Amino acid sequence: MQLETLNLNYWAIAPEVIVSITAVVIMLIDAFSKRGAHRANATTAMIGLVLALISVATLGRVGVGSYFAGMVVIDPIRIFFSITILIVAILVVLLASQFLSDEGLPPGEFYSLIMFATSGMLLLASAGDLVTVFLGLEIASITTYVLAGYRRYDIRSNESSLKYFLLGSFSTAFLLYGMALTYGATRTTNLDGIRQAIASGQIIYPQLLMIGAAMMLVGFGFKIASAPFHLWTPDVYEGAPTIVTGFMGTGPKAAVFAAFLRVFVGSFDVPVEGFGLQLHNTWITAIAVIAILTMTVGNVIALSQKNIKRMLAYSSIAHAGYALVGFVTGNFATVAFYMLAYSIMNIGAFAVIQILARAGDQKTQIADYSGIGFEVPGLSFSLAVFLMGLAGIPPTAGFISKFFVFTNAWESVPALRYLVIAAVINSIISVYYYLYPIVVMFFRPLNPGFVRPRVTRTTALAIIPDSARHLLSGVDA
Amino acid sequence: MVPLSWYLALSAVLFTIGVVGVIIQRNVIVLFMCVELMLNAVNLTLVSFSRYLGDITGQLFVFIVMAVAAAEAAVGLAIIISLFRNRETLNVDEADLLKL
Amino acid sequence: MKEYLPILIVFIFVTGFAVTNIIASHLIGRRKNTRAKLMPYECGMDPVGSAHQRFSVKFYLVAMLFILFDIEAIFLVPWAVVFRELIQRLSRPFVFIEMMLFIGVLLVGYVYVWKKGLFEWNS
Repeated sequence: MQLETLNLNYWAIAPEVIVSITAVVIMLIDAFSKRGAHRANATTAMIGLVLALISVATLGRVGVGSYFAGMVVIDPIRIFFSITILIVAILVVLLASQFLSDEGLPPGEFYSLIMFATSGMLLLASAGDLVTVFLGLEIASITTYVLAGYRRYDIRSNESSLKYFLLGSFSTAFLLYGMALTYGATRTTNLDGIRQAIASGQIIYPQLLMIGAAMMLVGFGFKIASAPFHLWTPDVYEGAPTIVTGFMGTGPKAAVFAAFLRVFVGSFDVPVEGFGLQLHNTWITAIAVIAILTMTVGNVIALSQKNIKRMLAYSSIAHAGYALVGFVTGNFATVAFYMLAYSIMNIGAFAVIQILARAGDQKTQIADYSGIGFEVPGLSFSLAVFLMGLAGIPPTAGFISKFFVFTNAWESVPALRYLVIAAVINSIISVYYYLYPIVVMFFRPLNPGFVRPRVTRTTALAIIPDSARHLLSGVDA
Repeated sequence: MVPLSWYLALSAVLFTIGVVGVIIQRNVIVLFMCVELMLNAVNLTLVSFSRYLGDITGQLFVFIVMAVAAAEAAVGLAIIISLFRNRETLNVDEADLLKL
Repeated sequence: MKEYLPILIVFIFVTGFAVTNIIASHLIGRRKNTRAKLMPYECGMDPVGSAHQRFSVKFYLVAMLFILFDIEAIFLVPWAVVFRELIQRLSRPFVFIEMMLFIGVLLVGYVYVWKKGLFEWNS
């Protein structure tokens, strides 16, 4: 093998490299400064993320194709998902400063963990090989386990972290076994190579590939919190610090969706006569069943939640179901846009909840929100906008993204129209529980002893453009 | 040479033992060991495929899996220690503050 | 299967030898227990205290660091084994610099744990 055939082009992994180096620099700043240099850490993280965003924008010039012997690819999906991930990371860094100073937690490790998680997610979005999928997924997951337990002396945070860790590594093992069997069946771990092997019809052991695909479906199903594998989600989301919940419900989820799309739609979806068609039909049916189950379970259980973090956990399960509807069409763009809109709405909602919950996440019951609508109008209005977006009420981006996914599925796959009908019915059910906190905020009496929460400038800087962008992207799209 | 199916059967059995262990065990450390067993069962599958297909990728994959498993072990133990410090128990049934 | 016969024979022989010895010493040996004989290590350090007490959590930290830095050898050893072959196919500085980058990252991790005071036993 010559150096040229490996196609080593460091510009092709520039975003990942920039983010990792930033993480290392933050670690060193943290190690060499006496009492956690908060400002320096946050500024470094911000500079790194903006540089990474610029380098993502220049990826198109490097050229669409695969690099590093097929380990990394550059294509529109990668660029789109990378932008989503970096926006999430930037918002989290902006929101983190208030969280860390209010709770008196060490800042350096938080920022460097966020940066490492971001580099893992970027790698996941750019993976062209099962090895890179695994590596990216684990970098993102392991850092998120730690972040979930970041409030070290809070027992709820510990439990959340432990549950996330145990079930996360359990599901990783399934995913990995699926990858191993796929490798055995196709003699390659390259996603393009797997596609070619299926297309040529020369699979050594077709049954192994079938089992491998099923195992990977279970593994990815756990990671995106889809229905039979969603049980960990509410506990983990409730116990983790709110900002971390916002982070892990959006960034890693979007990145795993990117890899999920690449593996299943990109590699396994080759409807040629014989085995290819059989595999195609099997996994399309499986996805359809999982999608319906996920939406229904998420929405129905969310109806009865009293805690807003748990409610949003079930809502995020339901949203994974809606996004899965986009899978059956084989159209990457609708799912990518859906994940972008969902990430912005969700992280915005969690940002407001974090401020209203105060240090230590004390006030997360919906009843705590009673009558605050006209007391803190800015926060309440933002939260209302985000919740309406999650419900899919026009003119928000949430509505437009749902509309794209559903119409696309309706038109391109007539055999699966029942899936779209189920999704629309579910969206209507979901309006009830999204509107309930809004009603409580604006039309119930104020709780006695309500204290206005503190909102720092950086936090406002994150929330206001986020909600504006969210409304605007609905209008012009 | 020992046929490939023997290795695959062995690793499938090991993987299943791990899965069953995770489901029925109650001690966090044992749960954690079961997960490690699952990962190592996968390593066995990868190595035997690599040998029989005459393709080196499987072995490279195993290196990555081992490194990741080590990182996971370190993080897992740290999480377990911090829970134990606050709670003084290793029984997962007692980690029940967050009700399902 | 024929080539496995010697292994089976060795296995039977070894097991038989061990079992015979244990039974023989059980039957014909004389038992005289002294304090030194009952120690975990007959010739070695005298044990101090009970084994069933809690250890300092610092041992855990050292063990964790050991796992992390130890596992990196699996990347170094294959590289060292194929180094000569590799520099003929790929360019020499490339092969060297790639591994130095890897070691550099490890070094940063080492500096981090050092500055964080994980090696200070008495803190």
